[in-house]
Amino acid sequence: MTQAEIKLCSLLLQEHFGEIVEKIGVHLIRTGSQPLRVIAHDTGTSLDQVKKALCVLIQHNLVIYQVHKRGVVEYEAQCSRVLRMLRYPRYIYTAKTLYSDTGELIVEELLLNGKMTMSAVVKKVADRLTETMEDGKTMDYSEVSNTFVRLADTHFVQRCPWVPVTENSDPGPPPPAPILVISEKDMYLVPKLSLIGKGKRRRSSDEDAAGEPKAKRPKHGTDNKEPIPDDGIYWQANLDRFHQHFRDQAIVSAVANRMDQTSSEIVRTMLRMSEITTPSTAPFTQPLSSNEIFRSLPVGYNISKQVLDQYLTLLADDPLEFVGKSGDSGGGMYVINLHKALGSLATATLESVVQERFGSRCARIFRLVLQKKHLEQKQVEDFAMIPAKEAKDMLYKMLSENFISLQEIPKTPDHAPSRTFYLYTVNILSAARMLLHRCYKSIANLIERRQFETKENKRLLEKSQRVEAIIASMQATGAEDAQLQEIEEMITAPERQQLETLKRNVNKLDASEIQVDETIFLLESYRSKVTMGTLGWLSLLSIDFSSGHGSGVQALH
Amino acid sequence: MMCFLPTLRIIELCHQFPHGITDQVIQNEMPHIEAQQRAVAINRLLSMGQLDLLRSNTGLLYRIKDSQNAGPVSFFLSKMKGSDNQEKLVYQIIEDAGNKGIWSRDIRYKSNLPLTEINKILKNLESKKLIKAVKSVAASKKKVYMLYNLQPDRSVTGGAWYSDQDFESEFVEVLNQQCFKFLQTKAETARESKQNPMIQRNSSFASSHEVWKYICELGISKVELSMEDIETILNTLIYDGKVEMTIIAAKEGTVGSVDGHMKLYRAVNPIIPPTGLVRAPCGLCPVFDDCHEGGEISPSNCIYMTEWLEF
Repeated sequence: MTQAEIKLCSLLLQEHFGEIVEKIGVHLIRTGSQPLRVIAHDTGTSLDQVKKALCVLIQHNLVIYQVHKRGVVEYEAQCSRVLRMLRYPRYIYTAKTLYSDTGELIVEELLLNGKMTMSAVVKKVADRLTETMEDGKTMDYSEVSNTFVRLADTHFVQRCPWVPVTENSDPGPPPPAPILVISEKDMYLVPKLSLIGKGKRRRSSDEDAAGEPKAKRPKHGTDNKEPIPDDGIYWQANLDRFHQHFRDQAIVSAVANRMDQTSSEIVRTMLRMSEITTPSTAPFTQPLSSNEIFRSLPVGYNISKQVLDQYLTLLADDPLEFVGKSGDSGGGMYVINLHKALGSLATATLESVVQERFGSRCARIFRLVLQKKHLEQKQVEDFAMIPAKEAKDMLYKMLSENFISLQEIPKTPDHAPSRTFYLYTVNILSAARMLLHRCYKSIANLIERRQFETKENKRLLEKSQRVEAIIASMQATGAEDAQLQEIEEMITAPERQQLETLKRNVNKLDASEIQVDETIFLLESYRSKVTMGTLGWLSLLSIDFSSGHGSGVQALH
Repeated sequence: MMCFLPTLRIIELCHQFPHGITDQVIQNEMPHIEAQQRAVAINRLLSMGQLDLLRSNTGLLYRIKDSQNAGPVSFFLSKMKGSDNQEKLVYQIIEDAGNKGIWSRDIRYKSNLPLTEINKILKNLESKKLIKAVKSVAASKKKVYMLYNLQPDRSVTGGAWYSDQDFESEFVEVLNQQCFKFLQTKAETARESKQNPMIQRNSSFASSHEVWKYICELGISKVELSMEDIETILNTLIYDGKVEMTIIAAKEGTVGSVDGHMKLYRAVNPIIPPTGLVRAPCGLCPVFDDCHEGGEISPSNCIYMTEWLEF
């Protein structure tokens, strides 16, 4: 873990969970896996607090535990998972676009709570939705459950591993830590629950302020008295599936930019058909026949079969090479070349950074070296048609920033500089790594600036909060407009201006964090694809090309 | 009197054997001539420029110089009576270099003459307008020498993109933009035509020949541009990421095809918009590596961020 990553994790943990969790979490990230007592000793916190912090971290899937030999349980933090917390807004937004507000709230609840039972989620979401609806309307549990089931079917939420029920009641001592297992087919199995009920509105004026009455009223009751029907079956958000969706989105928009809207729709259809059948790390999707694609096109997209075939041929011939033709049965079998697509997107990211940082002439040189792989100084000048002095300057600048590297090829065994070829080359993986590191540090900077801005205006924020609280309570007790006006004027106009500026700045910094996270996503997908190496090949071999016909995956919605 | 006869005889022999004769042949023909006299005769013929000295795997060959080559040399001889052998040698070396020219240091290596001598000779020859110096674009300090009436080769002058040793960047830029505009309009008209996708795509392509014709007709270039020149400009557009190229097989004889294939070019859009990192001030910051919390440069007091937030 690099310094930049650790700093960023520390900032995120602090912001979401507080000081103690941050201390424990960062300690674990730095030192790797450790048992409980060592953590307590090294960080100087009491055992009790360490336990609580670990509970929080485990609940949110940020720390895993393992039983080692001699019964010692060691805890290990997952740095990459902590960095995913940056992406929570994007996950929630995706759920909103696909499953509207209900889906959005379900995913939000799951992300904020780490793991939850289905009934708890449904209840909470129904309550929240009811809050926002008009008076007299409530949200039915069944509607929320339906959305939940749909989320599970499309693998956006998955079950957490659980303790297996052992048949032989062995009276031996229980293991120091439970071993959790989950089988593939159970992961998305929704338990048969009959959740009947409606969302409850939290009324603050008619009832007691505490909000406890729900438990006391028998006609609403099932909550605290009866056992929850699906106790022990916990659900969590399936981040890999979301990542797959982001990757598909990136590919579709790249095709739309390079070709046209219809081609991108075709690619989107193909990706949707391969959502469940293709593992997310495979280099190619399952081959899809042109007939299948034609049947699965979205309704209202009435292009004829011939036109579809033409588009598919064009896609397969395009220099982008995102789509490839793998056979001729069924009107032509087409696959999407996922690894190539990720590579192209990562390369385009690199080119974009070079262009914005150094200018378009530098970008020309960069793309030139990228395409030709290895070039001498003189050749660079000739191909790029840039005067020698400027070309040299730009090459050295990019070399110093590690976008370009130098390969020496000696002519003589003594490596004399006058008798050595010096070739410029771009190593995409190392440039991507360098850029990733810069992204992490940038986000850390943005977060720090945001916290600084908030701290600067702390006094003002507290004042405005107090005023709002006063106004709210006065409105509840039915105050007159004149009194409200008076209270509001406690905040002067320049202060109001300052608050506005602060809000705008914080939003801007927030939005920027999310944008940089998009870059991180593309680069990390590329890096994990490259470092997979042989594993990718093995999964490719396991795809059965002969079953292209029958696999007929129906469109999912 | 005696010394002329062997030279004439040798010349006759050389005419008899146009591919060259060895010393052995001359000795056989004129056995009565001593070796030294033979050598004098041969040297005289060589210095008069009527014989060529060649080396073969058997030994030395003497060959008659054919009349073409003899021409300028005799002209040269008539110009410089009593000229140095050294000057002739230098002239020979420069002539052999053809239209690529030869550097003064290389002349020194080949002729083994000291630098001062070389410089004197070169100045002499230049003033007599027999050779000229051409500046090379590769190294601006280097001067290559070639015969006066020869056209310097492209590699020395740089071709169409160099005028007087200066790389014409504005000219290249203008051509770059013009070509791109041409391809862009072609792609747009194709897109708006809204026909079936195959036709749309094919009509958005332009062959290098079409672009070449367009540029020639525009008349922005004072220099005559060949199709290869236009292709180098189009390649720079590819490296700009604005244009993509495909090669298709074309029948010999179709306009613009070279060796049975044609290059087609098309204007394209980038596949991703400017990436997230460059939208934040940190992505473009020049002092990124010095920035840390609590230092002189930190996120809290970053002036770039302040400017960016006010934007």
